[in-house]
Amino acid sequence: MRFKPMASFGAAVVAAFMVAAPAAAFQPDRPIEVMVHSGPGAGNDVFAREVIKVLTEIKAVPQNMQVVNKTGGGGLVAMSYLNEKKGETHLVAVFTSVWWVNPMIRKEGKVTMKDLTPIARLILEPAVMAVRSDSAYKTAKDFFEAAKKSPGKLKQSGGSISGRDNTTRALLQKAAGAEWQFISMKSGGERVAALLGGHVDMMIMEPSEALEQIRAGKVRVIATLMDKRIVSVPDVSTIREQGYDVPEVPQARGFVGPPGMPSEVRTYWEGVFSKMHKSKEWQAEVKKNHYVDGFLIGAPLNKFVDEYAVTMRGILQVAGVKIVR
Amino acid sequence: MEILTGLMQGFAVALEPMNLFWCFIGVFFGTVVGVLPGLGPSATVALLLPLTMQMNPTAGLIMLAGIYYGAKYGGSTTAILLNVPGESSSVVTCIDGFEMARRGRAGPALGMAAISSFVAGTFGVLLLMLVAPPVAEFALRFGPPEYFALMALGLSMVVLLAGRSMIKALLAMLVGLWLATIGIDLFTDGARYTFEQIELMDGVDFVVVAIGVFAIGEVLANLSVQTSGQMFPVPKGLRNLLPNWQDLKDSRFALVNGSIVGFFVGVLPGAGSTIASFVSYGLEKAVSRHPEKFGTGVVEGVAAPEAANNSETGGALVPLLTLGIPGSATTAILLAALILWGLRPGPLLIQDNPQMFWGLVASMYIGNVMLLILNLPLVPLFAQILRLPGYVLYPVILGISIVGVYSLDQRLFDIWLVGGFGLLGFLMRRLDYPSAPLILGLVLGDLMENAVRQSLMMSNGDISILYSRPLAATMLLLTAAILAGPLFRQVNNWRVKAMEQEA
Repeated sequence: MRFKPMASFGAAVVAAFMVAAPAAAFQPDRPIEVMVHSGPGAGNDVFAREVIKVLTEIKAVPQNMQVVNKTGGGGLVAMSYLNEKKGETHLVAVFTSVWWVNPMIRKEGKVTMKDLTPIARLILEPAVMAVRSDSAYKTAKDFFEAAKKSPGKLKQSGGSISGRDNTTRALLQKAAGAEWQFISMKSGGERVAALLGGHVDMMIMEPSEALEQIRAGKVRVIATLMDKRIVSVPDVSTIREQGYDVPEVPQARGFVGPPGMPSEVRTYWEGVFSKMHKSKEWQAEVKKNHYVDGFLIGAPLNKFVDEYAVTMRGILQVAGVKIVR
Repeated sequence: MEILTGLMQGFAVALEPMNLFWCFIGVFFGTVVGVLPGLGPSATVALLLPLTMQMNPTAGLIMLAGIYYGAKYGGSTTAILLNVPGESSSVVTCIDGFEMARRGRAGPALGMAAISSFVAGTFGVLLLMLVAPPVAEFALRFGPPEYFALMALGLSMVVLLAGRSMIKALLAMLVGLWLATIGIDLFTDGARYTFEQIELMDGVDFVVVAIGVFAIGEVLANLSVQTSGQMFPVPKGLRNLLPNWQDLKDSRFALVNGSIVGFFVGVLPGAGSTIASFVSYGLEKAVSRHPEKFGTGVVEGVAAPEAANNSETGGALVPLLTLGIPGSATTAILLAALILWGLRPGPLLIQDNPQMFWGLVASMYIGNVMLLILNLPLVPLFAQILRLPGYVLYPVILGISIVGVYSLDQRLFDIWLVGGFGLLGFLMRRLDYPSAPLILGLVLGDLMENAVRQSLMMSNGDISILYSRPLAATMLLLTAAILAGPLFRQVNNWRVKAMEQEA
């Protein structure tokens, strides 16, 4: 019993040291691994490489950064790999919404975002409803009305049923009181090809996917699925403006570290991403890729991690995806 | 005329010393990773992608594309010499290529692989240059029902891959189809046959199965029978190490067939070079005057699949460059590269960057010539590998197989898996089951299942969607014709026998 005050005094000293010398305490002294849960060329992979490009340009990190693709299990391999690297200081990973969804829908997914060390949320990626440019649907309303007239006849191409395009479809169907088919396709290329070829009627895309097709006159956006209009298609009204009460489901992307990342290391990475966020190089990338800036660190980020889990769980339930935990 | 001026411009770009240098680096690395099993073009392109960030996009694209088509050249080397497919697309090359090596014709097989790669690779670029936009539009007409018909056509090739027993070939194919179902189901997100193993959630990698069944199975089968000294005869003299006039004459149709099939299958975003090589091999056998000799080491059996998988590269670049849609793992990374360089891949890419497009096209003509010059002299050198005695060669095959499989995902699990498939391959050889139908089932199973389920979802369960669309119907008719072939021959045999008995 007599030692207890001593112990807490010791802890206080340690804590004081950590507060006293935060940023200077950690500097990377070997190359940094940036882990991505998808293969080279996928959206997250491009995102990671873009971040590395900017960090190199603005010289924010004194060491080389390299992308490591840990694919498999739709992100589970990457999450369990990160979980095993407890205390590793030269490793960060890109998170997306599947990092929340996977543990909820897969028995094998035992690691959650709460086990890891979220560092920074960087962007939100909005979604838009797109149709072929010669289609009769000019607004989301046109599409919903047509779907109501012939239930189950219209088709949407997309990925897996736990993916954002299907969960969003569930929300839209509920709000519009209409029903249409969701055709899962393996690769993004197949989904766009199916839309362009007229095999499906609609696709929920990310603006970066859609904009070149719009510019070439192949695709038309009939609604944006965000609360505010997005800069890249300013003339297109939001789904709420068109009178449907659909919550926005943005894809969040940012960086997360292994469990138990020392606080001075977390502070270091927060500093790096803050510096990047302020740079004009990063803002140019955000604009070029039609992302929405969603920078968040520290306590607000922790809050987001909890809230996003609740949101995703609710959406999955609406979409009828089986939840295991 | 427009094409001519474009091409002139392109050559001006491609012949700049630095671009020539990057083109050479690309095709050289491509050949090397092509020869090494496991490590494929997509991994290599990804690995070298950061290097190109400081280069100008045209030079970068020239180099990365060089890796892509260069790897297709190298893939046949280990397939022919060691029965180890270097790339997924060279599985079909193993069938006749390795038999040729066994009969002392490794040189002509390797030489023919290089020549058909060159001819078809150049043909693919030619079509890319001449007909890319209309062909891309045509490819968009392929929806799920058309893909289903294409896969059915591919699967019907089993009757052509069957050896002595059709029943055994069908059984092997069914095992392949079953293996294809392992993993997360795309439509329900449910796991099938994964036993809660994360490693199995993405299914069984096709390369692991191919290396196990072909390479390790072969080694085990050879070890189980007493052999001594040198494995295969290697003829002396350069003349016997390169294809002769007769080989070229025998392969002329295979070159045409492979080039055309490869290009058009390549254009389709939902198919790939492995399917292209299977289909062209099947077609070659179907129209051959001596189909019974296929699988015993005929030169057309090497020329057709090698032509197809090289022409496929030109085809695969079509949707990428004209529509911004990637059709394969490697083109997906090329798409990422274009984005990272600040270009905007999409339908307007060529219009916005004519210099880059024409520079790439011209560099691919040059790169194919470089590859031929690089690969042909290597033939006699590589053929000497077969002089090695078994006690040296077998451990080497096992070693490169294991390293190759491990390099896929750096997982120990895959090494156990490849060992298991090696045993399966050994048993299949012992019991005289052909291995190619198993690979065929595995490659097509997943795609075919997806296509049929997508089609039925599109039609709300009405099965007529599969055969009522003209393109799909045509392919299904072709499938029926191929399936009826052996039956027809069988009936004919009976008729002849009956007539003989009467007489």
